[in-house]
Amino acid sequence: MAAISSPLAVPTARRELPGDLAMWCFILAELAVFGIFFITYAFARSANVAMFDESQQHLNRTFGLVNTFILITSSYFVVRAVESIRHDRGQACARWLGAAIACGALFLVLKVVEFVAKYEAGITMSTNTFYMFYLFLTFFHFMHVILGMVILGAIALKARAGGYSRASHAGAETGAAYWHMVDLVWIVLFPLIYVLH
Amino acid sequence: MTSSRTATLQWASLLALTTITFQIAQSGMSGWGFILPILLIILIKGRIVIDRFMELQGVAGPFRWIVLGWLITVLGLIAFAFHLTGDL
Amino acid sequence: MQFKSQAVAKPYFIAAIGLFLGQILFGLIMGLQYVIGDFLFPAIPFNVARMVHTNLLIVWLLFGFMGAAYYLIPEEAERELHSPKLAIAMFWVFLVAGALTIVGYLAVPYATLAQMTGNDLLETMGREFLEQPLPTKVGIVIVALAMLYNLSMTILRGRKTSINLVMIIGLWGLALFFLFSFYNPANLVKDKYFWWWVVHMWVEGVWELILGSMLAFVLIKVTGVDREIIEKWLYVIIAMALISGIIGTGHHYFWIGAPAYWQWWGSVFSALEPVPFFMMTVFAFNMVNRRRRIHPNKAAVLWALGTGVMAFLGAGVWGFLHTLAPVNFFTHGTQITAAHGHMAFYGAYAMVVMTMISYAMPMLRGRPANSERSQVVEMWAFWLMTVSMVFITLFLTAAGILQVWLQRVSSTPMPFMAAQDQVALFYWMREVAGVFFLIGLLLYIASFFIKGKLPAHTSDTLATGKQRAVAEA
Repeated sequence: MAAISSPLAVPTARRELPGDLAMWCFILAELAVFGIFFITYAFARSANVAMFDESQQHLNRTFGLVNTFILITSSYFVVRAVESIRHDRGQACARWLGAAIACGALFLVLKVVEFVAKYEAGITMSTNTFYMFYLFLTFFHFMHVILGMVILGAIALKARAGGYSRASHAGAETGAAYWHMVDLVWIVLFPLIYVLH
Repeated sequence: MTSSRTATLQWASLLALTTITFQIAQSGMSGWGFILPILLIILIKGRIVIDRFMELQGVAGPFRWIVLGWLITVLGLIAFAFHLTGDL
Repeated sequence: MQFKSQAVAKPYFIAAIGLFLGQILFGLIMGLQYVIGDFLFPAIPFNVARMVHTNLLIVWLLFGFMGAAYYLIPEEAERELHSPKLAIAMFWVFLVAGALTIVGYLAVPYATLAQMTGNDLLETMGREFLEQPLPTKVGIVIVALAMLYNLSMTILRGRKTSINLVMIIGLWGLALFFLFSFYNPANLVKDKYFWWWVVHMWVEGVWELILGSMLAFVLIKVTGVDREIIEKWLYVIIAMALISGIIGTGHHYFWIGAPAYWQWWGSVFSALEPVPFFMMTVFAFNMVNRRRRIHPNKAAVLWALGTGVMAFLGAGVWGFLHTLAPVNFFTHGTQITAAHGHMAFYGAYAMVVMTMISYAMPMLRGRPANSERSQVVEMWAFWLMTVSMVFITLFLTAAGILQVWLQRVSSTPMPFMAAQDQVALFYWMREVAGVFFLIGLLLYIASFFIKGKLPAHTSDTLATGKQRAVAEA
């Protein structure tokens, strides 16, 4: 390549994709599904603005905010976990992952509280289109948080057993990427469903 | 800066940006002065997660652009949908 | 062929092709009945011909999948099949049960058949594709369980590869979802809701796992590409199939009385169902492009590539055309559906079974590939059947568009039969294409009997183009 041959060129170190390629394909697929739903939500809203805006008032924005803090923090913990294993610190990695999983569990608990409140108020997916989107999207995301926790759990166990090292930890990066995707989706979902009107 | 210090700063930024979003939400505003900043904040937060947490910045291949492209496309179409309703 | 017990696959493949021929003959009968309503009435009324046509399709594909499993699982697991005798016994049970069922459909009125076979004990008859009498359904379960036991034991004690694991999971899924054919609720909405737990979960669910693993197996054998690469592709493909297909079941729930939210979920998820088929096509072409060996079985390579393309077009593209609720509102239950159904079943499942037979049958007969003459005839058969199917699909699509317009969209909608009269020309054209399809199938059968000089063994190559030219010179 020309960049390398010229003595004046600044070599751009292009890193390898962190983690497994197959997982990235999976991540793209998940992003595609969520993305389509987000866009569909926005356009469905345009057909019934008043109803969407009114129903949105009944959502618990504070819960949503706290959950956002929780997920962002869990992603931060996952970053620290991967960083630990890059310094050959398997036990530290497992601990950071444990903290991330704990955050995930907290997220799920708050979400369940939210769902129960809606159920007790007699709100279901058939109540109106806004609630259909809200319940389905947050539930769908909920399932992905669970899957993410399982993945992180598997990695944490392996890290604790010394299965990763500075030289070989692609599995940890793979799982981390999935978790960040779950966080990324929520970063769009929360403002879109709970806030924007 | 050590990478853990950088990561902590990124985390703090994300929390701060989230707090700003919440404040805007509670302000009772509406219209483009309300929606546009929120969409921009989502874009910034998303970019931090994509480029830094997911470490896609500097990666060989198209993945960074695909994921960033996803974010921009989704937010763009959301903005368009809100524009259609006159809110934006 | 590496293990003697793989030989049990041969009768399964032969039965599959025989039943395929039966299926097409009845297809042609129906095609003619579309335009000459009294053809063969009252000996073989349309509804009977239809039952025979669709049931034969499913049964021959099942024979094909079982044969494929008995062939590829021992080879992947690197050990002999657990019980070849059981496999042969089940072959005969399935064949006899299937034959008796078809005879039953043809020989007696359906209501009489129901009475004769104990339908009053547990009412499972009377639904599309699931018309089989109760004993036949029970027989299918027994044959399936025996097959699963046989293959699972083989894998458990052998090497576990992603190909044999995906295959066995697909087969278990096939058996489990078939159990829903025994559940026939009185409530019409529930009846339709759960009917799809057999049909959709089969063809847009677990059968895609079977398809993926069969294709991956043949591609590894004929291209020599690194197993790890192929396995990775397989996992991503089936993940996409399940992600899109499970909730994608909702695209059958739009208008049957299920909650309205299915119109959203069914549309969004099923819109992604073409993705795994697209990936299979890219996968197949990619593997052949970077192949490390020129396998003498060129026909098998052609079938493998063709399966990817036709499955993507028939299942993916034609499926997508009518999967979104706003479109489906108008096209539901029309010739658009028939167009999609034919190309999808042929492109995905008929072709993958023929891909497998194309690869495995010569091996079962003691050679890596058939003679040049035989392969040429087989490839002619491929093109005749495939191009005929494309035309069948195009003609039915045209009929469907006209039908939708006349019957539903127009400001003066026409009644059903009046609209059918208007599209009759397309039915004639479809029948002609069907005749060519039959010719293709007959050529295909003939190719098994053509002798000639057997090709040289596989040549290994690093570059595909040049060395191939040298080897074939």
